[in-house]
Amino acid sequence: MDLLQLQLLLDATKITLGLALTSLVVGLVLAILFCVAEMQKNPLIAKPISLFVTILRGLPEILIVFFIFFGGTHILFLLTDEFYDISPFWSGVVALSLIFASYASQTLRAAIQSVPKGQQQGAQALGMGPVRCFLRITLPQAWRLALPGLGNQWMVLLKDTALVSLIGVTDLMKQADLLSGSTYKPFTFLVAAAAIYLIITLISQWLLKHLDSYINRFDAGVAK
Amino acid sequence: MTLDHFWLLFNGLSTTLEITFFSLLFGSILAVGLTLAMVNKIPGLNLLARTIILIFTGTPLLIQIFLVYSGPSQFEVIRHSFLWDYLSQAKICAIIALAFNTAAYSSLLFKGAIESVPRGEWDACKALGMTRGQTLAIIVPHALRRVLPSYSNEVILVLKGTSLASSITIMDVMGYANQINGQTYDALMAFSAAGIIYLGMNGILVLIFKQLEKKALAFQS
Repeated sequence: MDLLQLQLLLDATKITLGLALTSLVVGLVLAILFCVAEMQKNPLIAKPISLFVTILRGLPEILIVFFIFFGGTHILFLLTDEFYDISPFWSGVVALSLIFASYASQTLRAAIQSVPKGQQQGAQALGMGPVRCFLRITLPQAWRLALPGLGNQWMVLLKDTALVSLIGVTDLMKQADLLSGSTYKPFTFLVAAAAIYLIITLISQWLLKHLDSYINRFDAGVAK
Repeated sequence: MTLDHFWLLFNGLSTTLEITFFSLLFGSILAVGLTLAMVNKIPGLNLLARTIILIFTGTPLLIQIFLVYSGPSQFEVIRHSFLWDYLSQAKICAIIALAFNTAAYSSLLFKGAIESVPRGEWDACKALGMTRGQTLAIIVPHALRRVLPSYSNEVILVLKGTSLASSITIMDVMGYANQINGQTYDALMAFSAAGIIYLGMNGILVLIFKQLEKKALAFQS
């Protein structure tokens, strides 16, 4: 493996990271929306979303990626009678953020439910509206409880980004595969790519550990 | 997409189930080995087990499958050995990769379950003068009951993971769905039909594990 090939792998790593971080942001927003919808008292809102999230979790991730990418093209064709090329990158973002949100919304819901009821009642007594109460009182406390679970799901998301290589995004996985094909050294390049994924995972774990002790810094000594 | 296509997907189902079954079989045996190495802190083996777990939980499953499938061909030695008869078969490669992957994740579950058995049970075994092996014979069944709910998730993850085998030319449900999509350009129907099959299988797995849990936890409040 020479420097040029390493450079190609590192460039592809940027795509992987860009994809993972974009999906994380979109996924977190979706997760909050799913979570709020699932906790609605109105079953007409809560049930369909709950079913949707369950279906997402029961499907293979690659199927969701293909469904969005090929199905998206198909839907546009049915609607407009013309073929449009939809971006593999953004199809990947949509698919990955949906997958992330379907798991993260469950973590978030559990965290929100373990914030004591008194907190909301207190906010209500002070005259806060339900939206403000959710954003200013409940959510900031729920984040801390949800962080370990969300951290795990971030690492699952990072590994799932490899799936978009199958719809033609030149991410780390795809680049390793391309280099394997052109050099006849699949072992070298796949191991190199795997090592980069491993390094990103280890850095994530380290950052999450520090983030966790940072956001719980006021609890130190109180618990236990 | 016609009804014939739908039956084609069912052809793939046997491959999907075959890969799931063998991956879980070999994966769970391997996981027990990894867990024992970690729990007993066997020098050398403990480190090896932790390294295997780190590698297989820290990298994407897709890259693991590709690595087992196309990696060995780089080495002349392997290509000329008896191993090549096995490593040149895509299905075996998929099973090897999935087995190691699930072994890594489930050994973490097993280890957690063994550690969650109350300290008192270990102490009681010690007080009765039991050997390490005898103690584990008491602790492991208790741990197995606790691990069942989280292991059922792992089984579903393996079933979902087998769909990646389609990327190394295996015609499982996902492989046929890709083929139908390629032939008919009816992506929505092809992948929806495949999705229904996967959902159905996962639904059945959930029901089976619910029954198992009921039996296993019958005497626990």
